[in-house]
Amino acid sequence: MSFQAYRTGGPAKRIGVYIGLTIFVVWSIAPIVWLVLSSVLEQSALIAQPPDLSPSNFTRENFVAVLASASALGRGVLNSLIVSLFSTALALTLGAPAAYALARLSVPYSNVIGFIILATQMLPGIAIAIPLFLLISYLGLIDSVLTLGVVYLSFNLPIVIWILRGFFLSIPIGIEKAAAVDGAGPLRTLWYVVLPISIPPMGAAAVFAFIEAWNEFFFALILTRQSAQTVPLAIAQFAGQYQTVFGQMMAAAVISVAPVIVIATIFRDQIIRGFADGMMKG
Amino acid sequence: MTDIRLKEVSKKFGSFQVCHSIDLDIKAGEFITLLGSSGCGKTTTLNMVAGLEDSTSGDILIAGRRVNDLSPVERDVAMVFQNYALYPHMTVAQNIGFNLKMRGVPPAIIREKIQKLAASLELGHVLERFPAQLSGGQQQRVAIGRALVREPRIFLFDEPFSNLDASLRVKMRAEVNQLHVQQNVTSIFVTHDQEEAMSISDRIAVMYRGRVEQVGTPEEIYARPATRYVASFIGSPQIELLDGILEESNGATFVRAGQTVLPVSIGRSKFKVGRAVEFGVRPEHVRVGENGIEGRVQILQPIGPATHVKIDTAAGAFIASVPGFLRVKPGDAVNIEIQPSDLHVFDKETGLRL
Amino acid sequence: MATTFEKRRQNVGVLLLTPALIVIAAILGYPIVRSALLAFQDVKLRAGKLDQVWVGLGNFRRIFSDEGLQHAALNTLYFSVMEVILVVGIGLVLALLLNQPQGRGGFLKILLVIPWAIAPVANAVLWKWILSSNYGVLNGLLKSLGLIDNYQVWLGTPFSALNFLLLVDVWKSIPFVTLLLLAALQRVPVVLHRAAFMDGASSFQSFRHITLPAIKDAIGIAVILQTIWSLRVFDIVFVLTRGGPADGTVLLNFLAYRVTFNFLDIGYGAAIANVIFILTFALAISYLWLLKPKTTVGAE
Repeated sequence: MSFQAYRTGGPAKRIGVYIGLTIFVVWSIAPIVWLVLSSVLEQSALIAQPPDLSPSNFTRENFVAVLASASALGRGVLNSLIVSLFSTALALTLGAPAAYALARLSVPYSNVIGFIILATQMLPGIAIAIPLFLLISYLGLIDSVLTLGVVYLSFNLPIVIWILRGFFLSIPIGIEKAAAVDGAGPLRTLWYVVLPISIPPMGAAAVFAFIEAWNEFFFALILTRQSAQTVPLAIAQFAGQYQTVFGQMMAAAVISVAPVIVIATIFRDQIIRGFADGMMKG
Repeated sequence: MTDIRLKEVSKKFGSFQVCHSIDLDIKAGEFITLLGSSGCGKTTTLNMVAGLEDSTSGDILIAGRRVNDLSPVERDVAMVFQNYALYPHMTVAQNIGFNLKMRGVPPAIIREKIQKLAASLELGHVLERFPAQLSGGQQQRVAIGRALVREPRIFLFDEPFSNLDASLRVKMRAEVNQLHVQQNVTSIFVTHDQEEAMSISDRIAVMYRGRVEQVGTPEEIYARPATRYVASFIGSPQIELLDGILEESNGATFVRAGQTVLPVSIGRSKFKVGRAVEFGVRPEHVRVGENGIEGRVQILQPIGPATHVKIDTAAGAFIASVPGFLRVKPGDAVNIEIQPSDLHVFDKETGLRL
Repeated sequence: MATTFEKRRQNVGVLLLTPALIVIAAILGYPIVRSALLAFQDVKLRAGKLDQVWVGLGNFRRIFSDEGLQHAALNTLYFSVMEVILVVGIGLVLALLLNQPQGRGGFLKILLVIPWAIAPVANAVLWKWILSSNYGVLNGLLKSLGLIDNYQVWLGTPFSALNFLLLVDVWKSIPFVTLLLLAALQRVPVVLHRAAFMDGASSFQSFRHITLPAIKDAIGIAVILQTIWSLRVFDIVFVLTRGGPADGTVLLNFLAYRVTFNFLDIGYGAAIANVIFILTFALAISYLWLLKPKTTVGAE
């Protein structure tokens, strides 16, 4: 038996693998498919038993209803967009130089600092939510998208620093020595040499930060009221209604999920590599 | 002209002493190699001269001026790195011109200098390519070009060839050699390859455990190694060192190893009866024939121009390098002769040459 | 200006690091400290102002006698343990499947990333719909397959609701752990399996003696990470059950929220939150200890 055959295994193993993979595909994709289907079917077709899936019942009415000007979701999308982009941009701007300082600039206690930054991610949101809530209400900054964006730095900034620090450590030091000999100080080295070659991990970090911000629910729940409501909150509202129009609830969920799926699909390789690098370099 | 002086330069990492009080005088225009195995402190020393690392104590002087507090660019040094360290996201032209850009040289002049340099380095047609698209040899020349374009006072080389395959290494050594002949810039070259050091240097500084064991021309280092370490490190195949005791008899000096006694020539001041020593002889100085110490052939290694033979004797094993192909088999009885002047003797304790 | 090379770099480093540190100190550091302080106080909100009374360990003592909290702790224990077992167990099986020649597909990778990417809230409402007792597709499917007679109220009894919450979060969490373990599996040098093959090992033996020890660290990391994340579950409780029925799905995290923002017992809520934090932190230490370089089979 060749090694290749050994690895592939006998017919029993091969069938087992195929069955396993099929189950995996069905189990992963079925809920998503149902999500999308539910959002484009008329309510009447949806609640029929069994649900009537014929294409004649496909409609846009759920999306229209959900995005209508009076509804919270339209504003929610705008708010979520602002919060996520703002928070991500801020995290990158503050985090990249910080990560470089920790990785390469011999800052005293850089390992301790790195550890502390990592340790903050073990905090349950509830622990810091209370004092933040008190502080922000005291400052009168409740219900503001910008405030939320800054609060989101509490998890976005450490993520960015963690990923980028790991990457910066893996850059061959010769390149930075060459820059120093060429007359570039640390800042110019960062700008002209290090950052240009760090675009992929920065992309991964940005994707993580954006997705985390876009999906965040708890702080949004506590720190916003009406005007700064984000998409997750709007969705939760749908679920809390007495008379749930399921199609609309699903449409709202699709709106939340669609951009993220698109981004995750496009950037899946960077995301996976970001996981691996970040995990293993601790 | 730029000379370099290291005065009692030391470097400590935490509690670990990397370099112990290094003293080195490098003449202007000289090509000197820091040679040693990894961990001997050669790269650290180079980094300190470059200004990439601070010394813990001691002075570094370039052209008579103390430069400890100056940055690399202020010292006017250029460096060629292991793996070249070319900027992967910049074109060849940008790579070469980067240091000029950092200095604020106007773009027009940068372009002009690059053009001229590229022509002499045969890089003219790849100026707009990226490092990943170049061959090893081309990358090498870009790295050198980057260093050359600044017209520096000092050239530093940090093991630039260690990752190349054998044939490319030989070619690159020749290029560096030629470069030095042309430009005559003071250069410090770091390597662990003794053959490399021997072939391109004016002088070699052999380093071991943070200290300079010996500084000298390749010939001096080879023919008159100052310490046991230098003798073992330089020369291929490696010299075999055997234990022995100094003796005197009828006014002549000998070294005894077991039953075997060999005549040695050691200065009166260094000679002391009963002193424990290590001695050895370079393989090419071991004459295999009919006369001399009795021995038996252990291993035979013909390499073409010569044959390396390991011969067992009562005094210990000797390695002989005999021209051509030697007609013996393992187990054969042979005799070996050694001239006293070819014998290197080192004090067993201090390792110093006697 | 006699700053040396390394000193100068250090100074720039401190400069670049400080803004980020200030932000972290403000958004994380200050709240942690204040939260710890609040835990030692009895805090009530009266007419828009805070009424703070120092009670020392009073809140913490209350934790030990609070039946509701003990109930929540048991729920959380069950939930976390089950989730870790299911997620890491199934994740490992899945990773092994995907490591097979047949499993190397780009499409499959997409399927792994998607559940991680969707919002927990979105996941929650999706399953709320799937599990709906009136029109949910799970009921519809099971009935049409003849497995049940009537539509079930899956979230209707405490234990059942807890288990379905588990299902919802497990569904979302498996892919990430699978990715983690798959990465570890792919780092095992194939040459080791070749050697085992030459030594006559069966597939299973090869798995047990070569693969398993090599990914031991990754499994450990997955366990710790998943435990930490299971302690932070909130969105699905809020959306699906609000802690009901009969507080059967109240997890510690949710309890802290309810105590603070519904009952406005801010000091007590802070105490609970800090207990959760300490628990999580202890687990995090184990995580980092596991990450310390150990001799693994075959270098990276």
